[in-house]
Amino acid sequence: MIAFGLSIVESEPYRRFSGPGLRRVMEADSELYAFGSVGLTARTYNLILDAAAGRDDLEGLVLVHPHAQITDPSFCAKARQVLADPEVALAGGVGASRVQTLAWWRSPAISGPLTHHYHEFGEGEFQGFSWVRPEPGSGEVGAVDGVLMVLSPWAVRNVRFDDSLVHGYGFDVDYCLQVRAAGRKIVVADFELTVHDELDLIEKPEVWVEAHIQLAEKWEGRWPGVPPDTRDWKERARRAEAEREAARAMAFSRELVVDARVEGQERELEEATSSFPWRLTAPLRQLNKARLDAAARRRASRS
Amino acid sequence: MIAFACSITKPEVYARCAEPGIRRVAEADSRVHAVPAVGSIFHSYNALLDTAAEWDGLEALVLAHQDTEIVSSDFCARVRAGLAGPEVGVVGCVGAIGVRSIAWWEASVTQASFINRYEEHGGGDLESFSWDWNEAPPYARIGEVETLDGFLLALSPWTVQNIRFDESLGEFHGYDLDFCLQVRAAGRKVRTVDVRAIHHRPLEMLPDPEQWADAHVAVAEKWEGRTPGLPPLPGTWEQRARRAEAERDRAFAKARWHDLEADARVLELERALAETRGSVSWRLTAPFRRLSHPHPAPPRRR
Repeated sequence: MIAFGLSIVESEPYRRFSGPGLRRVMEADSELYAFGSVGLTARTYNLILDAAAGRDDLEGLVLVHPHAQITDPSFCAKARQVLADPEVALAGGVGASRVQTLAWWRSPAISGPLTHHYHEFGEGEFQGFSWVRPEPGSGEVGAVDGVLMVLSPWAVRNVRFDDSLVHGYGFDVDYCLQVRAAGRKIVVADFELTVHDELDLIEKPEVWVEAHIQLAEKWEGRWPGVPPDTRDWKERARRAEAEREAARAMAFSRELVVDARVEGQERELEEATSSFPWRLTAPLRQLNKARLDAAARRRASRS
Repeated sequence: MIAFACSITKPEVYARCAEPGIRRVAEADSRVHAVPAVGSIFHSYNALLDTAAEWDGLEALVLAHQDTEIVSSDFCARVRAGLAGPEVGVVGCVGAIGVRSIAWWEASVTQASFINRYEEHGGGDLESFSWDWNEAPPYARIGEVETLDGFLLALSPWTVQNIRFDESLGEFHGYDLDFCLQVRAAGRKVRTVDVRAIHHRPLEMLPDPEQWADAHVAVAEKWEGRTPGLPPLPGTWEQRARRAEAERDRAFAKARWHDLEADARVLELERALAETRGSVSWRLTAPFRRLSHPHPAPPRRR
């Protein structure tokens, strides 16, 4: 039996995104553990793991973020296939090798066919996690993103999320590190998934920094697959401070480039719509819009 | 006599940017010493200083980047006034206080009287906050600072005689902060003056982040614990490393998300444009547009 679990903070994302996806892919005997959040996602997930661990027929537990919609009609078959390898304890939709900080995406990443649906700027879709710049593909990685985590029965029964990571970020990376420290494998599989998320992906950047520090302190010198950093603290501090300032400057530069790009487009639109003939034909467009709106209302009332 | 000096790596850029500005503001007796670069900017600028140190009657040496176009027509008078008094060693038009690293823009910037003129995406101008004093924020002011942006510096004769750029620090980055720190360590003042310039440069601030980081480390090592007026940074080296590594990763993420946001905003505008140009109204009004704009308009400079 393949079970599904969610930590739900608000009902709306579940109703709109993850719920419809689960209804499409759950099998007749699938169990759904939709638990209300008890603060940290790590803590809620552990409650789900405790519940699922007692099922003798468990083949896998799929932990889904409420904003993630599984769109893969073969999802369960693919999950079974990747978990058929007894060495594999965890699978996900996107991940990276050589993970050595909370920012797993700074290492080379690979991704299955994921989609990012954003709702700002008139809505739209990008390739999922395009900001990570992943290579398309599947295979073994050091960590997967927590938006989708497919756990083997072994993982469900033997590894728990660390709820001492109190800042909320990094529970997924930490879980992956624990799995790898226990000698098991993590893979990215070609699950089809749409993530409905904002374009600004770290909601609380200051808290994220604290979480980064806490995770670094926990795993210092023992990140699986990564040789320990032999530099002394002063050297590390110097280099990191320099790289931080460089990264900030690059971020600022990108903002300028964004503004320049958008301004160019806005000028073009302004020029297109501010001409006299365009203004002259405005009543025609208003009339057409009213006609289309009325037609839409009629369709809605019929359905 | 106020002299102008420029170290040139791209003659066409000098001819287009710095040269017209210098011609605009130079006085009848001004010397202009624009010569090819000889290695790093530290070394090239030292060569310019060595030459200028020999000149009689020098009142100030203006070091301008090849892509810096001086705009203020009364530039020389303002530089003279700014350098008046033996205590002032160097002046410029962009400066900051509370500076902790070569990323001086992370500190409290007090004056930024320049335009960043870029050519990407149809070109445009980014006016810095004190380009127009009528619109400047309350913290904008002229006066003493800790460092200046090196794209335009005016050195006093004392500085030309006594201070040199530190060639051990690298190729380019950090030369301006280090120079200002040397001037201040020698007991002289660094000030901003009310002059304006156009910096013709791309929007990308750090095309060579690795080199920039090396310079950041080198300047930090040189001045650690002896930056005039600046206490050492708080925390142990371990704490500093942990926090900086975290903040570095967050900043990298932020840079990537700006790209994502740009793509989304541009897509939205492209949709709006396509909708406009695909409409019946657009097709109906095409003859009028052809009449009013027989030739496509060139990109507008803002």
